Amino acid sequence: MSHQLGRVVSAILHRYFGEIVQKVGDDLFTFGSKPIGLIVKTTSLTRTQVIESLRTLLKFDLATFEPSANEVIADYKLIPDNVLLLIRYPRYLLQIKSKYGSEAELLVEELLQQATCTATVLLFTIAMKYKDDKEKNITIVTLKDMFISLVTAGYIQQAPVAELKEGSEVPTLVPVATIVPDLLVSRNGTLALVQAMSSGSISEINDNIYWRVNYDRFHLDFRDEIMIKAITRRIDENAGELMRFLLEKMYLTSAAWAPESSPLCVIDLRERCRGAASDRPLLHQFVDQYLKVLEENGGGFVRRVGDAGSGQYCVRTRHAARQLVLCALDHTVTERLGSKAARIFRLIRSRKYIEEDDIQKNAMLVNKECKQLTYKLLEEHFISVQPMRKAASAGGLAKAIYLYHIKLHDVAHAAQEMCYRALHNVLRRHQHERAAHARLVDKQRRVRTIVHGMRLRGEPQQNIDDVEETLTPPELAVLQGVEKRLKQLSTAEMELDRNLFIFKWYFMFPETK
Amino acid sequence: MSAKSEDQLKEKIINVAKKNPKGISHKDITAAIPEVSSADLVSTINELLQQEFFDLFNQNGVLVYRLKTQTSKQAVKGADNEEKVVFNLIEEAGNKGIWIRDIRVRSNLANTQLTKVLKSLESKKLIKAVKCVNASKKKVYMLYNLEPDRSISGGAWYQDQDFESEFVDILNVQCHRFLSQRSDKMKNNPRGPIVGRTQSYATAAEVQKYITDLGISKVELDVEDVITILNTLVYDGKAESSVYPDGSKVYRAVDPLIPAPGLVQVPCGVCPLIHKCASTGLVTPQDCTYMKEWLE
Repeated sequence: MSHQLGRVVSAILHRYFGEIVQKVGDDLFTFGSKPIGLIVKTTSLTRTQVIESLRTLLKFDLATFEPSANEVIADYKLIPDNVLLLIRYPRYLLQIKSKYGSEAELLVEELLQQATCTATVLLFTIAMKYKDDKEKNITIVTLKDMFISLVTAGYIQQAPVAELKEGSEVPTLVPVATIVPDLLVSRNGTLALVQAMSSGSISEINDNIYWRVNYDRFHLDFRDEIMIKAITRRIDENAGELMRFLLEKMYLTSAAWAPESSPLCVIDLRERCRGAASDRPLLHQFVDQYLKVLEENGGGFVRRVGDAGSGQYCVRTRHAARQLVLCALDHTVTERLGSKAARIFRLIRSRKYIEEDDIQKNAMLVNKECKQLTYKLLEEHFISVQPMRKAASAGGLAKAIYLYHIKLHDVAHAAQEMCYRALHNVLRRHQHERAAHARLVDKQRRVRTIVHGMRLRGEPQQNIDDVEETLTPPELAVLQGVEKRLKQLSTAEMELDRNLFIFKWYFMFPETK
Repeated sequence: MSAKSEDQLKEKIINVAKKNPKGISHKDITAAIPEVSSADLVSTINELLQQEFFDLFNQNGVLVYRLKTQTSKQAVKGADNEEKVVFNLIEEAGNKGIWIRDIRVRSNLANTQLTKVLKSLESKKLIKAVKCVNASKKKVYMLYNLEPDRSISGGAWYQDQDFESEFVDILNVQCHRFLSQRSDKMKNNPRGPIVGRTQSYATAAEVQKYITDLGISKVELDVEDVITILNTLVYDGKAESSVYPDGSKVYRAVDPLIPAPGLVQVPCGVCPLIHKCASTGLVTPQDCTYMKEWLE
């Protein structure tokens, strides 16, 4: 909960929900949790506006509420981490598309936009939307099957249900176990859906189970992907594949976000590799060797824990997160202060505590440069210093020893703040860029609609050209530039989000001393 | 006792002393040369001491004679007492050298006299002054024929007490090139990953040979020097090190685990003004020049 986080959250809320919601969000962020009355007072919005905004925030799971002290009214609280997820939506869609195809993408996209929705409404809306689209050939039955497989895989889950506790006026949201509903599985349900399609209304079907996207499941996918990619970079594709198998096995035996998986047996892995022998003959042939190399050269992602059952390994996701954060920090230091500074940074890390003289000796840098870089690192809070004074020495002549070291948790925090700041700047710039050229963009859009309409009406090419020429060549050039810039900014947003994901993953585990 | 037998006795004592470079006591001599009478021995030893064959030490109450090295014996020939004292102090310091102030304190000589003595010794090419790398103004004296210690000269990386960072950089790049040539062998090796890994490893000795064959270094680099360079590669994150079963260190070029993260892909990640940037004021994201250049 830092100032920078507040700025990012505010910018994101502004982009997706407009000024009023942003105002309410800002207010909630600064004050922590407060009831409606007080929000109205500080934001000087009307009560209906505040209620509307809160409704939006609650619907998208960007805020929560809990009974306040007197149990009659509710206190509202913003969830900044969920707000940050809004810019991750494109990534979710891409992920689901590459894994399950375009139908799944449609489902998830619609559900993300609706936030919470019943299955029938969701399926019906999409099916209606693409009814006339012959190319995609989407029927409500295929959509329903896809929905069920997404639910089974955990990408979609049931939304929590509000329950009133005794003696309290404020309901609490209780998470529900996700069960694939009969309505969808049974024959009658399918028939009802098809009937609804032909009649064009779903008022007949009684469905009151609400669904929403399970972000966590996506995040697990992202985590696995990062780990597999890292191993592939470090060793090779076969080792990456082995890492994938290990992670698959991990899901079966341990909690998904466990810092270390329970021991996984080599025999199972061999079996799994045999199944993939046709694609990866090398992996099948050298499973044991690959495991050994993965353990010794794989950045410590995997650890051998025992010899039972011809060897047991466990996946250390927590350690992996640490390694990846370190790597990200290395990159940051390299870019900010140069590769020499990165050398010092790594040197200090590998020695835990080190004196200035030793840094100079081991980093092989000119004394002066080395000192300068060390102090620069210190100034930017990448490293810390621990003075060791000799106790009870007479006079002020006693020379203190200064030991440099890295407080990883703090450094990661600082870097995360930097990410927030960068993200905020990119968002602001995006907004600024759009606002500056709003008139032109608007004009382009108008011209396009007019031209589209004329084409449909089959007007002569001459007239169409006339309308198109209202956009002068210099205007077109500017528009092209704006488009390119906006695209670049969006890419930067996504990349920053990826970066933030690693930090968030690292902070998921408490700091170890 | 005749002059001849005295000479023989002298030779015998010197031989005994040569076998024990740490020094011999009276007992050692009598044990080694039992046939000689103690009176003869005393007179002979006195003579040897006078001729400055031996240094005399008092070790735990026992007198110990130690043979002086040949050079020092010759060097001090024709020198006065002050020179001898100073020379001995310098000699004792070995290849670490001794600071002029320490000589003054220990020899109890006046400053002017000491500088004179040092100058004369220097002109005779018996001692030399070496500049210390750690403190630029500090000069230490040592015997002329000695190679200065690493802590004084800084080893191969120093030329006239200046650290040669360019030289180190070049070696760093070359070592990395050598390692990366091998690193591909690990990927999808048909003979299995362990064989591949072994092929991608390079020992420090191999790297040293490569560097020597390149002929980029005028100075002779030993394996230790190359290991220092290879360690900088490890600190650069471009290599990882491991140890062979026989204890020799091996190195392998590696890529970072992840490509450059989002933070450094935007100008803010490298911006020197990031901590001064705010929504309003002089530095804002809307009017940021770095951002403008990046978007061009």
